[in-house]
Amino acid sequence: MTSPAEADTEVVPPARRPRPRRGVSLRDAGPPIALVVLFGVFAALSPGFRTVSNVQNVLDAAAVLAVVACGISFVLMTGSIDLSAPGIMGASAITVALLVANNRNDNDLGLVGIVVAVGLAAALGCLSGLALVLLKVPSFMATLGVSAVGLGVATLLFAGVQPNVTDPLLEGWAVERFAGLAHLTWIALACVLVAWAVQRYTRLGRYAFAIGGAEEVLALSGVRVAPYKVAVFTLAGAFYGLAGVMVTSQLGAGLVQAGKGYDFAAITAAVVGGTLLTGGRGGILHSTVGVLLVTVLTNGLVQVGVSPYWQGGVQGLIVVAAVAAAVIPQRRRNQVTK
Amino acid sequence: MSTPVLAQPAPDTPVVARPTVGRRLTSFMPLIALVVLLAALTVVDPGFFTLSSLTAAVRTAAPLVVLAAGATVVVLCGGIDLSIAALCSLATVLFALWLPDLGAVTLAAVVAATALIGLLQGVAHVLLRIPSFIVTLGGMSIYAAIALVVSDAGPIPLSDRDATHWLTLYLAGVLPMAFVVALLVVGVVSLVLGLTPLGSWVRAIGYSESAARLAGSPVDLVKVGAFTLSGACAGLAAVMLVSRNFSGSPTMADNLLLPAVAAIVVGGTAITGGHGSVWRSLAGALVVTLLRVGLPIVGVPSAYEQILYGAIIVAAVALTLDRSKLLVIK
Repeated sequence: MTSPAEADTEVVPPARRPRPRRGVSLRDAGPPIALVVLFGVFAALSPGFRTVSNVQNVLDAAAVLAVVACGISFVLMTGSIDLSAPGIMGASAITVALLVANNRNDNDLGLVGIVVAVGLAAALGCLSGLALVLLKVPSFMATLGVSAVGLGVATLLFAGVQPNVTDPLLEGWAVERFAGLAHLTWIALACVLVAWAVQRYTRLGRYAFAIGGAEEVLALSGVRVAPYKVAVFTLAGAFYGLAGVMVTSQLGAGLVQAGKGYDFAAITAAVVGGTLLTGGRGGILHSTVGVLLVTVLTNGLVQVGVSPYWQGGVQGLIVVAAVAAAVIPQRRRNQVTK
Repeated sequence: MSTPVLAQPAPDTPVVARPTVGRRLTSFMPLIALVVLLAALTVVDPGFFTLSSLTAAVRTAAPLVVLAAGATVVVLCGGIDLSIAALCSLATVLFALWLPDLGAVTLAAVVAATALIGLLQGVAHVLLRIPSFIVTLGGMSIYAAIALVVSDAGPIPLSDRDATHWLTLYLAGVLPMAFVVALLVVGVVSLVLGLTPLGSWVRAIGYSESAARLAGSPVDLVKVGAFTLSGACAGLAAVMLVSRNFSGSPTMADNLLLPAVAAIVVGGTAITGGHGSVWRSLAGALVVTLLRVGLPIVGVPSAYEQILYGAIIVAAVALTLDRSKLLVIK
């Protein structure tokens, strides 16, 4: 007969606790390596790709997507998702086109117009956050709804006549260059730095990570989670608003469809960069690498001779593949996928 | 001396949670909304409640009903299919492209093709364990790209208009054939769900997937089946759209996604799964169509349509949500 003491000694040793990995993990280093490899492959394949002017093109083309990705990264960090970029960008694009010097009315607000447009976008983003927090509507539904509202607002303001921008400031953003890159690209770079600082050094950014990692734990430790979630969606809305303004500057006109496809492209960029859709991983710099990856891929495929119509399809495949790759290691753990 | 503590015997009659009057009323909400809308529109414009305008309304509703009916089964399983509209657009292009070669079997071929695509989505969702909205969001983007490439980004006229002529006929001179087909789809899906174990399986998966799995339900197969049905319905809806427009186009159905989702949630099917039914989506689709047709009648510019869809979706999801299931809402 075994004594209790003996039985105790036979207890299986406690499972080794997973230790935080030191140094750079594959998940962090993978996307930059992929970027370099992809760049090398296209440079080898296409003489048109490896020119300085094309590299400038790639960076300029990445500008708007980078700003959208900054916004969506915060939402993804919290584990939610945001499909509202097309609507919010459309609304802000039309708003800014109608507020700065244009051919529809006598407004000439300049910078104030841009601020108002970004403010409207932030308000729409706030609406998604409130629907999520107060009405408990899952974020993909809430943001789908807000996107429709934004498109509706844009259509109302559009009123059948396209507003063409004549404001020198806004037009200059897309045309004038500094150190070889368009002003828009520098604005995007500034956005990335600001977003990175917010993520790294403010309570909002820190809590956004924590909400994605373990919302219950955060709530149990006495943090009021709801206001931070609303703030994250509001911040994301503001970034989409600025992106809408940038598109208006590029096109020289306000269009309802200014943001078409950007939601999906930004999700692709974030996911490829290593930001998990389950939240708590990744961040602004990851997403920025993802943006460059997506843009290099788009530009490179066109240079190699693939029809630009395939763009969305390639992004779709990448998202499904990247999410699957991220989920497969833990597929035994989560039995339920909705 | 101690008296043994006996557990109180369980009451003989099991406690059955009977729906209260209020709950019964809310379960008929889509029908009530439909009747109220019809009455309101008739009051504003007495000319609305005539046979010809009602026929026109149900004829417009037909593709939406079919799209929503298919996607409802996915929602009942607790998932979502965001690809239906893009898949439908692709199917219109395929129909117009294949008609000259395939002739009479084009309809079957298109529906089979979209069903196969839906099946692939379901398999990707189940095997790779990717959330359904990501799979279908990716799918949406892929189908839109395929449609653009094969159609060269332009509309393709029908080579033979007689091929879809039967869908534009009227049954007994009143009921549009397209709507009859839509009713048939709703009826068949409802019957199959109601008469076979499939209905219970779908419901069980929606209410609690892990419990359904433990109970031995073929969870993965049923989910793949739901996505296949959703794909097939998108194909059928595409044929209805083609019969109306006499052409296929890579963006023809893209604006049907929001109305279809709105139809499902307005019908009262909970986005969390389990609660709801296909006939509810039929009522929901009719409500959405009436709203769309009715806005100009009441004098509201149609630009408000989008805002209305957005508001309806958020409000209806908030009302029908099963809060007991969601501790943390992402």
